[in-house]
Formats: sequence, structure tokens, C-alpha cells
Amino acid sequence: MADRSSHFSAPDQTGHEYESLSRIGSGAYGTVYKAKDKRTNRVVALKKVCVALTEDGIPMNTLREIGLLKQLNAHEHPNIVRLLDICYGHRTGKELIMYLVFEHVEQDLGSYIERNPRGFNTIQIKNLSREILNGVDFLHSNRIVHRDLKPQNLLVTFDGHIKLADFGLAKTYDFDMKLTSVVVTLWYRAPEVLLGLPYATPVDVWSIGCIIVELYNLTPLFCGTSEGDQLTTIFRELGRPSETDWPKDNISIKWESFRSIDSTGYMHNFSGNICETAKDLIMRMLTFDPIKRISAMEALNHTYFTEEPINT
Amino acid sequence: MPGWYYDKKELKNTPSAQDGIDYQTEMRYRKEGARFIIDTGIKMDLGYSTSATGVVYFHRFYMFHSFKQFPRYVTACCCLFLAGKVEETPKKCKDIIKTARGLLTDQKFNTFGDDPKEEVMTLERILLQTIKFDLQVEHPYAYLLKYAKCLKGDKVKLNKMVQMAWTFVNDSLCTTLALQWEPEIIAVALMYLAGKLSQFDVIDWTGRTAKHLRWWEMFVEDVTMDLLEDICHQVLDLYSQTPSQSNESPPQNQPRLNPPPSSSVARPSNGQNNPVSPDQPPPMHSSIPPPSDVPTYIYGTFTGAPPPVPGFPGFSAPPMSAPPVPPHMAAPPPGPPPNIAAPPPVFPFVNHPPPFAPPGVPPGANYYQPPNPPHRQFYPPP
Repeated sequence: MADRSSHFSAPDQTGHEYESLSRIGSGAYGTVYKAKDKRTNRVVALKKVCVALTEDGIPMNTLREIGLLKQLNAHEHPNIVRLLDICYGHRTGKELIMYLVFEHVEQDLGSYIERNPRGFNTIQIKNLSREILNGVDFLHSNRIVHRDLKPQNLLVTFDGHIKLADFGLAKTYDFDMKLTSVVVTLWYRAPEVLLGLPYATPVDVWSIGCIIVELYNLTPLFCGTSEGDQLTTIFRELGRPSETDWPKDNISIKWESFRSIDSTGYMHNFSGNICETAKDLIMRMLTFDPIKRISAMEALNHTYFTEEPINT
Repeated sequence: MPGWYYDKKELKNTPSAQDGIDYQTEMRYRKEGARFIIDTGIKMDLGYSTSATGVVYFHRFYMFHSFKQFPRYVTACCCLFLAGKVEETPKKCKDIIKTARGLLTDQKFNTFGDDPKEEVMTLERILLQTIKFDLQVEHPYAYLLKYAKCLKGDKVKLNKMVQMAWTFVNDSLCTTLALQWEPEIIAVALMYLAGKLSQFDVIDWTGRTAKHLRWWEMFVEDVTMDLLEDICHQVLDLYSQTPSQSNESPPQNQPRLNPPPSSSVARPSNGQNNPVSPDQPPPMHSSIPPPSDVPTYIYGTFTGAPPPVPGFPGFSAPPMSAPPVPPHMAAPPPGPPPNIAAPPPVFPFVNHPPPFAPPGVPPGANYYQPPNPPHRQFYPPP
């Protein structure tokens, strides 16, 4: 995708104008640019959103989602990336380009892990985990499911704090995903998503469980190569779920197809430095049945976060 | 939402003021725009929150643009159109325009230009940017109900009070209160006013502690009596304005002298060619029947004007005599306050003829009688 225009101007009363510096990434959701606010010299992240205009202007879903983003933003939650501005780009008859202007944070949790090959101490891990859960709990209490939590969209500020990015505009993502062949990582996906079942906030808790294990092990927990392989990988590690836990309705994948997998998992990734309390919390987050899975708020009240820090 | 509140000085130095429109005239334009949004909303069966959201967009929009540059009825349609989508009660742009056409005189409808739909659709993007995409707007209604649940006392009286306060909240949309105070504070003030006028004295409430002198101290901090009275007066002032004030409508009424520039965005309306005199109040024609383009309502008829309350000198009696109980109060009580989650306070604009038609004056002469009073009511959600 060529970066044709390097200037995005917002003809509103705030008079902001942005100059594109580089492309940060393009994924299922569209393209994100690193840019400079020409008025303040502040470096920002511009997320380009392509809105399909209808006969009645900007679609209702887009408006609802932008409204929600703005409303969330007004809370100034410390673990949520700030939305600074929204401006228009090019417009054709059927399409309107909009730029969501976010604060720019240089590094994400993926690169943060790479830069710390010797790993993190337990207190650092606990703090990072707590901040991720805090941000996600805030989204959930506003009835937002992130749906794509992974180290790449957990930003880490220069002083080591977490800021969630890339939430909202979820329906737009969905729409785009069908049109693009971009490979979206499966590694942090909850079983109910992989099984094509309806899902809600518990999917985010699953992803956080995977991410916390990654903070200990410095390597992703479940690295499947396809949706089926991802499920197999999960079940091998954690053990195959019981037949009673297997969903009854609307499911095309049969429990029997995983018969060859043992009901007790290898648990290869849970040895080493993960203490028992941490392990208890992680297992509650990686519970197969989304109903039985711990919520973000409950997780924040788990002994792992409330006990006196012991050490290392 | 932070950033959307203004002090009185700022409200007097708006883009319209800088454009030569005097304060009274701007307040009238705001009131007319708000009324028009509410009337259109009612005609189209939109809920009170959609209309209220549209009205707040409208007020915010004119903190950045002049009434001379953006004709108010076009903006009003666009605000309602956008609010419909945001509140998930969408209406087609062309249907809103159709309804607007029915409510407006030809002269006023002319401000929509040759392609009214395109006019409104183009404005949508400007509106969105002007209101900074702050689409979710809170209104006093929810707070009103929440607070009422906590108050103890005679249930019938409490219901009356809540209904009256609900009416005041509706009417407050025609003022700039939503640009001055948070919905919580407006709810408290208008409940206070309704309590005074319906003689419902709140002496006890759920959650009362020793340090509470007033019930609202449970919900809002640092609200002085002066502030409450100021808010109440801003609403009460609506009822004391005479219909003749709504006579003149300079920007939209003057014949168009020049064709509008091709850009439909910054189209100056005719007012620019015929500036409103900033110094002079609109002419009074109290004895002359208003011309056909007078808005089809007068502000004295929003609700029954509240009766003077003896021993409460803070509020003067409205100029027109009013029955002791405004007609909307005659609606059956909605149910006991513990279930107040859904009291059906009647939306008073619609189904009540003005309580104080001067005797002998034929309907429609100089006060508003809805031609076909709809029997729809504006209920809060269950």
C-alpha cells in the first residue's frame, strides 16, 4: 500500500495539521502512521479509517463507535491510549477517509520483551499484568470487548507503564478482515473464537492469560499454525476439555475430533519461575468454558495481586 | 464531557455576536432551533433523548459558527438527523426534511436551498467536526429519576413534583443551560424549582447523613442557592417572554439579494446582506397579529406557567395568569415513587393546549393551539 499523501489537514477550528513521518504498521484494521502535529510538533499515531458512506451519510455503527471512543477518552484512564483528535482526509462519493489521532507510544509489549532478553522480575510481571487487567476491566465496564489483545497492541511507555491500543471500531475491523488476506495472529485467541461460537468479554481474559505466561517465559504460549492447530496446541498443553464442558449448540467442530489428546496437559510452559499463586490465576484465565473463566475484575482481586509482595 | 461548558461572558461573545447578532436575537434563534428540533422529533416519533441530544448538538454548534452563516433550521435538521443515528433511532434524511417542510413556512424552508438533502448531508461532516465527535451526551432526565428514587414523602406529591421537574428539563433545552451546567446540576435545580412550586418539601431521603443539610448534597458538591436560583430563573424567563419577540427572523426572512456562492459549506445567509442591528431589540408588535411566519408557538405555552407561590419570593409570578395547576399536572400519577424508574411525565409541548388563552381570542390568533394535538407522550424509558 503506497503512502501517497504525506499531509493530513484538519480544517477545524483547532487548526491541527499533521505531517506523516512513516508508516507504523498496516494490519487487518487499516494503516497506522507515525506523524507530527505541525502546530505543536508533537509526534502522534494516525489511524486511517475508511468509512463507507451510505445514502444516509456516515453509518450509524461508525458514529456509535467513534462516540464511544471519545467518551472513553474523557475518562483519561491511565492504561488506555489517548485519542487526541479526529480529522477528515480524502473523500469520494462513497468513501470518507478519517484519521483517528492517538498519542504515540514508541514501544509495544512485543518489542519490550525483545529488548529484555533476560526477562523481568516477578514484581515487574505483576505490575505489567495488573495494568493490562486494569485497562481491560475499564473497557469491559464500558461494554467494550477488545477482541484482539496481543503484545503488539499493548503499548509500553518509556517509564514502563501499559497503555491499551487498537480497541473499538471493532465492526470496522471485522468488515476489513473479510476483505483483506492479512494474517491475523491466532496465538492469543480464545477457544470459543476458534470454534466460531458467539463470544464476549471472556475472550480478552484468555488473551491476557496467554500474555502473562509470555511475560514469564519470554516466548508465546500457544503458537498454532491454523485455527484447528491452535486448538490442538491449547488442548495438548492444558489438557482436552471434558465432554460436559464442550459446547452443545451451534458448533461444527466435534469434541470427538480431539479424542486423541490427553485430558491432562503437558503443562510444559508452566514450570520454572511461575509461582503457585500466579499459576492459579493463569489457569483461571485459561479456563476453557468462558462462563467459568475469571473476569478481569475478579482477576484484579485474586491473591496474586493482593498478597504481600514476597520478593525477588 | 469536559470542554463544553461556558460562562455567561462567553455566551455573550459567540460567533453570532461577533457577526452582529444581538444577544436577545441569538437567544431567540437558539430557542427556535431547539423548539423546532423537539417538534420535529415528536412528529417523527423520536424519543426525548434523541431530541435532547440533537438540541445539545445545536447549541454547541453555534458556539463555533454564526447564525448568519448557517441557517438555523438546516442546522437543526442536521442535528436531529445525527442524534437519531447516535441514539440508535435513525431517521432517513429525506424524511426529516419532509417533516421539516411541513413545520416550516416556505420562506424558512427556502434556507435549505435547491437540494435540501445535500445541504443537510454536507453539513453533517461540518457538524461532526464542530462538536468534536463528542456524540454521547448526557441529559438531566436520568439524574432526575435517580434522585427522585431517594426522596421520601407523600408519593402523589412526589410524582407531581417529578413530572413538573421533567417538564422544566424539557423546556430548559430552549435555554443555553446545557452549555453552562452539567446535567446533574440542572436536574437538582429544576427539582428544587418543581419542589417549591408544587409545595413538596423534601425533609427526608434515603442515604441521609448528619452532614447533609439538603438532599442534593448527596449527589452534587458545592452547589449554592444562588446557583440554583440562577438556573431556575433562566428556565422561568422562558415563560415570561412575550410572543411578539418571536416576530422577526432577520437572516431567514429577508429576501435573498445575492445568489449564494457555489460552496454549500460556508454559505452566507441573507442576514449578511441585511445585518441585524446589534443595538436594537426586535420590534414589538404586541397589538398586531403576527405575520404568517411567526413560529407556531409562544413560549408561554410550553407548560402551564407555574403559579406564584406564597412565601417564596424568589420567583416572581409569570406575567400571564396561570391556573393553579398546570394542565400537564392533571395527568394521572405515574405510580408510587419507589417504581419511579418509569414515571410517565408528560412531555408538555405536545398534548396540552396553552393554559392561558386570553378569553375571546380565537385559537391561532396570537397563541399556539396545536392544530391536531397529538396524543403521543414523551415517556422516559422503562
